[in-house]
Amino acid sequence: MVIRIAAVGDVHLDEDVVGRFRPALEELPNHADVLLLAGDLTRHGTEAEARCVAREFGGLGVPVVTVLGNHDYQCDEVPQVVEVLEEAGITVLEGNGTVLDCSGSRLGIAGVKGFGGGFAGRCAADFGEPEMKAFVGASTESADALKAALHSLDCDLLVALTHYSPVPDTLAGEPPEIYAFLGCYQLGQAIDSAPTTLALHGHAHHGTERGTTPGGVRVRNVAHPVIKQAYSVFHLGEHLEPGEVSRMGSLGTRPAWS
Amino acid sequence: MTEHRDVDTRRATDAYVSAEIHRLLAEDPEVAEQGITVVRRELGLVLHGEVESAQRRDEILRRVAEHFPELAVTSDIGVVRAQPPTEIEQLP
Ligand SMILES: [Fe+2]
Ligand SMILES: [Fe+2]
Repeated sequence: MVIRIAAVGDVHLDEDVVGRFRPALEELPNHADVLLLAGDLTRHGTEAEARCVAREFGGLGVPVVTVLGNHDYQCDEVPQVVEVLEEAGITVLEGNGTVLDCSGSRLGIAGVKGFGGGFAGRCAADFGEPEMKAFVGASTESADALKAALHSLDCDLLVALTHYSPVPDTLAGEPPEIYAFLGCYQLGQAIDSAPTTLALHGHAHHGTERGTTPGGVRVRNVAHPVIKQAYSVFHLGEHLEPGEVSRMGSLGTRPAWS
Repeated sequence: MTEHRDVDTRRATDAYVSAEIHRLLAEDPEVAEQGITVVRRELGLVLHGEVESAQRRDEILRRVAEHFPELAVTSDIGVVRAQPPTEIEQLP
């Protein structure tokens, strides 16, 4: 059993970007069973920008599942953005999950935007002014929603999809002073509470690709400026050497560019 | 945009300028970028980071130059490549 997952985050689409991903996306169905988008799909979260996302990532021939990012909230048009994306067949997750049939195996994806708050020893606490409590409350609420979503899915392989990071590992490269705005440990805790196989996130444009949760779940930062390609492809559930990197096409798929 | 100048020297102070550029780039609706860093070099300020289009890269430099006409600002911002991947990662 192998499930092939393509993923990218932080594409920040607007008219000026439409079409840039399309050539690589045309080949995507040859290489992946599903495309996961890790939020910040738009620049300002307008309905018009969501239409750009629908044009670019709609009708791919594989299911597309996404969470929103902080940029997608900027213009307070979240309901319209979600509607446009869903009309294009893109599943938008926020505190819920979906199970997809991938060549006979059930892939469960639980998603939430997440929030900041920081990591062990350097995190915000639910104390003091109402503004601080609201900040920490947002992190906790988001992580609780992710936990509930992860536990609600009946599947063979479980993936957590967030915009904010669940671990500090994949933030390496960002100034340490802003880690608390890039993710929170509660998301990691939620991921570790369930039999999660892989956690994908974006948001940290200057971060690094690989990390693990304290519980040993692999975490990948798929922000576009980090992966520097249209999307990354992960093969899950095939028990080869852990972390082994294969040439694209080595499993019977022919690279379309060869 | 307010000007931040050191009272003694009457020169723009780097720390405030860098903070202002950072906020300008995030909050200006024509830019909305949080991933640009500002580095002080001998010849002035250099902007680093990666954006999604050449228009955005050019707009960032234009905006910063417009707001800080007295500063020498150059840009080393790149446009993120969007080619298909050549490798897959195998996970257990
Ligand atoms: Fe982003
Ligand atoms: Fe973000």
